[in-house]
Amino acid sequence: MADTPLAKSRTRPVYRNIGFGELRNYRLPIPGIASIVHRVTGIALFVALLFLLAMLQMSLKSEAGFEVFRTIIWGNILGKIVLSGLLFAVIYHMVAGFRHMIQDANKWLDLPMARSTAFAVFAISVALTALVVWRLC
Amino acid sequence: MATSSKFISEWWLQRVSAVVVAAYVLLVLALLLVNGTPNAAQWQALFGNVGFKLATLLALIATAYHGLVGAMHVWPDYVKSRAVLAVLNAYSWIAAAAIVLWAVYILFGMK
Repeated sequence: MADTPLAKSRTRPVYRNIGFGELRNYRLPIPGIASIVHRVTGIALFVALLFLLAMLQMSLKSEAGFEVFRTIIWGNILGKIVLSGLLFAVIYHMVAGFRHMIQDANKWLDLPMARSTAFAVFAISVALTALVVWRLC
Repeated sequence: MATSSKFISEWWLQRVSAVVVAAYVLLVLALLLVNGTPNAAQWQALFGNVGFKLATLLALIATAYHGLVGAMHVWPDYVKSRAVLAVLNAYSWIAAAAIVLWAVYILFGMK
């Protein structure tokens, strides 16, 4: 790039072959974070669904099976954290999916709306997850 | 994708299955929010209802399809090895089939 006054006046960072030390400066914009979290939650849920089916089977097989789920799995802080995480994944994937389908219809595609709706997806998902977990505690 | 028409129908089915699953998830979340934690009798009565059984089966079939299509589109963006992709795709097909068969067993076959 030529050393024009314009180029000198700007202090925009330039990244080429970024190293680990620069990763913290290279932030993904929030619509990008929303997109990758949608993918990660989708894959996680596809894998976790088999474990959820195992728990559903146990909870329906007998009253004792239901109590094992309620007292040992949901009654355990680790189980509660994992299941709350999966609940967040379900809710997040759904809410982000609604946003993606609205974008399929060519709406909310300009940068300010892409940013604010991505933020809203996180806020709504966290709030709804917290509400359900609170109701089940 | 073999043909564009296959892609378009897959694109639509991905969204139709998403709406089916979302309707079921919203139903279950509403039930939990309204009624709070169920006890064993309430939980098993809910899953003893034939209408709810059919809704659950429909939602799980839609989930299996949606997850299979999703996984087969997402993995190639990150995994470049054909052998690893073949393993991941095989896992996705088996998991999708297992979800449907297991759901039928839990809802209609289990004593």
